[in-house]
Amino acid sequence: MMDGCPGSKMQDFREKEAKGDDSGKRQSQLRQWPIQLHLVSPMAPYYQKADVLLSADCVAYTAGDFHKDYLKGKSIAIACPKLDEGQDEYVQKLQSLIDDANINTLTVMIMQVPCCGGLVAMAQQAAQQAKRKIPIKSVVLSLQGDILSEEWVS
Amino acid sequence: MEKYLNTPIKEVITQFPQIADILNGYNIGCVPCNVGSCLLKDIVEIHNLSIEQEQKLLAKIAEAIYLGKKVAIPQIKRKPSLKAGQLKYSPPIKKLVDEHVLIKRWIALVPEVIKNLDLESEEGKQIIINGLDFIRSYADKFHHAKEEEILFQYFDKNLDIIKTMLVDHETGRSHVRTIVEALQKNDKSAISEHLNGYKDLLTEHIKKEDEILYPWMERNLSIRQVGELFNKFNAADQKIGEVVPQRCEKFIKSLEEMMLSENQKEQKLQKKKEAIK
Repeated sequence: MMDGCPGSKMQDFREKEAKGDDSGKRQSQLRQWPIQLHLVSPMAPYYQKADVLLSADCVAYTAGDFHKDYLKGKSIAIACPKLDEGQDEYVQKLQSLIDDANINTLTVMIMQVPCCGGLVAMAQQAAQQAKRKIPIKSVVLSLQGDILSEEWVS
Repeated sequence: MEKYLNTPIKEVITQFPQIADILNGYNIGCVPCNVGSCLLKDIVEIHNLSIEQEQKLLAKIAEAIYLGKKVAIPQIKRKPSLKAGQLKYSPPIKKLVDEHVLIKRWIALVPEVIKNLDLESEEGKQIIINGLDFIRSYADKFHHAKEEEILFQYFDKNLDIIKTMLVDHETGRSHVRTIVEALQKNDKSAISEHLNGYKDLLTEHIKKEDEILYPWMERNLSIRQVGELFNKFNAADQKIGEVVPQRCEKFIKSLEEMMLSENQKEQKLQKKKEAIK
């Protein structure tokens, strides 16, 4: 039976048992603006020698502790490898982050849906084209917000 | 229980020898360690067992110590960034693991080198000289220096596991010095003994690093530190240049070919002898 695209298949999580602590207030760990990959400049000071998080758009809405566990201490760029246009520019920008901004590491955080894998592929293509080499980590998140895998891809 | 968790492993095993078998049962190979100063709790933490396995192990240890008396089993504090048992090296650590491969190729050749040890000919002596050059230039200056001068600087030098690794490095250097002296005196037996000692030492040392030390370090390094290590390792490699690692790899390759042809000659000779019989 055909189930359609897993990336847009309707799923209802309302019955999920709420876990965790709702008390207290967390501060945002965002330390820059803009964040969308088309809008950011690799020459921005907050990217220089930074640990950069390249996050698929949906990730921040899925990971309950996104700011605390993944954004803290990093500079960010967000993109959607399925819907965004001009993805060649994305590869060039990522290459420029590696070569011109001399970023320290790149963490690519994606959803488990197949279309999200394109973001890791973009990062790998940029790394191949770049003169510098840096460690690149891929983190895959389930639709329920759990970490499915964490691996070094370059 | 806390008291014994904070006791060096050697003391615990001396007092309760049956704990050696319990640890071996969980593939914790610290029992024959010649230093043995790591605390029991650090050993349990460093091996990254699953919570269930860790609790079972500690219960068995408690049983051995308290002989059936009911004691609270504590949970060891740890940083679980990877699921228990998974071995995934970050790029800088993978570089060190990859360097181990060439060192292990040398170690695998040592028994053949000892078997064919010939101090009468210049060619025979040259094999030992080249072997010593490999140990000093590749295993020590190229590889161990990255650990001592860069990687270990990210950790507390007073940790027993780090001290153990540094003692191993020094013991290796001492074997090399003895082989150099023995070579000058044409002392075949001392050369064999210390080449063998080096082989045994490095075999255990590499196993400890690949399976225990590096995975533990991975769990404790931040992503910023991983990136820094990657840059520093690359800079260290550039400083040494390509000539040294290329020369060392060429030596291992040619020695492997030489030992292979020696073995083939020996097999042919054996066949001839059998045919004559």
